[in-house]
Amino acid sequence: MSNAVLELRDVSKSYAGSPPIEVLKEIDLTISEGELVAIVGPSGSGKSTLLNMMGALDRPTSGEVLIDGSVVNGLRDPSLSGVRGRRLGFVFQQFHLLPGLSATENVATGLLYHGTKGRARKAAAREALERVGLGHRLDQKPGKLSGGERQRVAIARALLGDPAIVLADEPTGNLDSQTTAEIVELFLELNEQGSTIVMITHDQDLARSMPRVVEILDGQILDGADPADHDPADHDPGDDDLGDEPVESELEAADGDTNEDDAS
Amino acid sequence: MSGPNVKKLRSKLRIVDVVSQAVRGLTSRKLRTALTALGISIGIASLIAIQGITEANQADAKAEIDALGSDFLFITPGTGVGEEAELLPYASAMLETHIDELEYVAALYPVDARARRNELVPEVQTGGVTVSALTAADLDLLEPVNGSVAFGRFHDTTSVEVPSVVLGSLAADRLGIRHLIGHPTINISGTDFAVIGVLNEFEILNTDLNRTAIIGLGVADTLFETPDNPSAIYAQVPPEQLDEVRDIIPAQANPAAPGEVAVSRPTEALEIREVIDETFARILQALALIVLAVGGIGIANIMVISVIERRGEIGLRRSLGATRKHIASQFIIESTVLSLLGGLLGVAIGVSIVFGYARYKDFEAIIPWYWLSIGLAAAFGLGAFAGLYPAWRASRLDPAEAVRPAA
Ligand SMILES: Nc1ncnc2c1ncn2[C@@H]1O[C@H](COP(=O)(O)OP(=O)(O)O)[C@@H](O)[C@H]1O
Ligand SMILES: [Mg+2]
Repeated sequence: MSNAVLELRDVSKSYAGSPPIEVLKEIDLTISEGELVAIVGPSGSGKSTLLNMMGALDRPTSGEVLIDGSVVNGLRDPSLSGVRGRRLGFVFQQFHLLPGLSATENVATGLLYHGTKGRARKAAAREALERVGLGHRLDQKPGKLSGGERQRVAIARALLGDPAIVLADEPTGNLDSQTTAEIVELFLELNEQGSTIVMITHDQDLARSMPRVVEILDGQILDGADPADHDPADHDPGDDDLGDEPVESELEAADGDTNEDDAS
Repeated sequence: MSGPNVKKLRSKLRIVDVVSQAVRGLTSRKLRTALTALGISIGIASLIAIQGITEANQADAKAEIDALGSDFLFITPGTGVGEEAELLPYASAMLETHIDELEYVAALYPVDARARRNELVPEVQTGGVTVSALTAADLDLLEPVNGSVAFGRFHDTTSVEVPSVVLGSLAADRLGIRHLIGHPTINISGTDFAVIGVLNEFEILNTDLNRTAIIGLGVADTLFETPDNPSAIYAQVPPEQLDEVRDIIPAQANPAAPGEVAVSRPTEALEIREVIDETFARILQALALIVLAVGGIGIANIMVISVIERRGEIGLRRSLGATRKHIASQFIIESTVLSLLGGLLGVAIGVSIVFGYARYKDFEAIIPWYWLSIGLAAAFGLGAFAGLYPAWRASRLDPAEAVRPAA
């Protein structure tokens, strides 16, 4: 517990409607420093909603979200924005790059709301682009980059400012399988270098290459087995014991030794 | 725990970044920016051009009035009918004798005759030329009408006694008189008159003299029906005595009905024209202000569209730590910068028009600084105001909603 960077306690989320749609049901989840976690589940199971809770982009209907040990879901907008900007990094399926800006300038926006001076932002951006293997594409506009390159730019941007955790929502959703493998490889590398990363995917195979997998179905975390020998048919949501303790399917693999084969 | 107290973390956005982000946002959509700013540009360019042109015209008119001097009087019988309304026979001589202050007095008498080039030309072709007569006592007519001879000469004591004529510029034109070589004549109701001179064009005052053919009253009396009552008397007075003299003229010119006599200052007409110009300029400027307001609405409109289109960008910025205020300021500043760009372009266009007009008219260009600053201030205010609602909408967007892929 001492090195938990992010914790969800009994988090539920409903959207207004008649009847209200309960998208997340009493989720308990802890992400520790240095972890690389895949959250996997079919489309509509509540993965993005879960990530929005973790990233303080939305507030839970009930329950608590802790970042660096502090409950943040009650914070007002300026504090909440501060937490997002300083402690979290985001990667989205649709990249969200600004078309008018070069790769370096796009990455540099990662420090825009830190009040960092332009020159320092650019320097940090170039360094981050080198880290993700785009040192040769610094001045390209997104329009000239391939999908994989765009996502690398977005990842570099998320890494800026040294966030406690990087949250990626289907980062490979718009990429072909070859490029997907490369991005997964990059996440594994970054994780080895110390980054804490949560990656959402609906792709079971992809999830299998991650050290720890959390499965979600109908807004609940499945108390599953090792996803390496996981068969979706084994799972019956009714079996899930959503008790007081965090229940997760976890694969605490020794860093990277078994997974790299699957990823490539 | 790894970090400091996360609750104390705050986002920060440097002012230079607010502005440079806005400029970036606009320059990455150049065509749209240009088209949107155009409304503001046209409005402001019009404001400045109208004012600059009006001021240049007024300065020119004022210079003309000053050059003329404001000491002319124009006396006419008035609008009444019947003998009562007529000026006294030979009233000019009467005025000259009784009012010492009048420096020059000269009368013209209406002649019921038609002028044409010769008897072969149908009268209709030279329509518009009027014939007036002059007495030997009023040979100084050119002084109180501020006229001059273009070529030939004006009447003298001999010429008013014989069939000879001096033409206004337009009359000469109509009658085809371009020079006096070969001693041209014109035909006035059956009699040939020698053309002895043509006057320069009257540009501002007494422009009706341009259409007049002036003959001697003695000749007119003999040949045509001509009354002894003048149709117009022109006089010149020292400016300081003008008001005083003006009041005593009617009783002298028409003792029977002094109320009928109209005494006017021709330069007054110019001053009235200036006022009309001014009024017209204000109306045009009101229209320009409406164009400006419409330009502002255009900006608001585009900014609202921009907020909808840039939902993802807003979500991204929120994920990067932007607060609601940061998002709002981005859109307000963008809208203001957009409007100011339009304003600056408008100033450039407006000032160019003012200079172009001055050059064309050979006037001195007058930059209307007052309206220039009004225009820029309006652009600034409009831009900021137009950005308010879009900025509010953008800042209200739910971050989770904004980052979600469009359905
Ligand atoms: N703003 C919302 N209002 C109502 N329903 C929503 C909203 N956002 C998500 N949902 C619903 O919540 C469920 C889970 O959505 P989501 O978290 O996006 O799933 P996933 O990312 O796993 O595909 C879906 O059924 C979706 O329709
Ligand atoms: Mg999703």
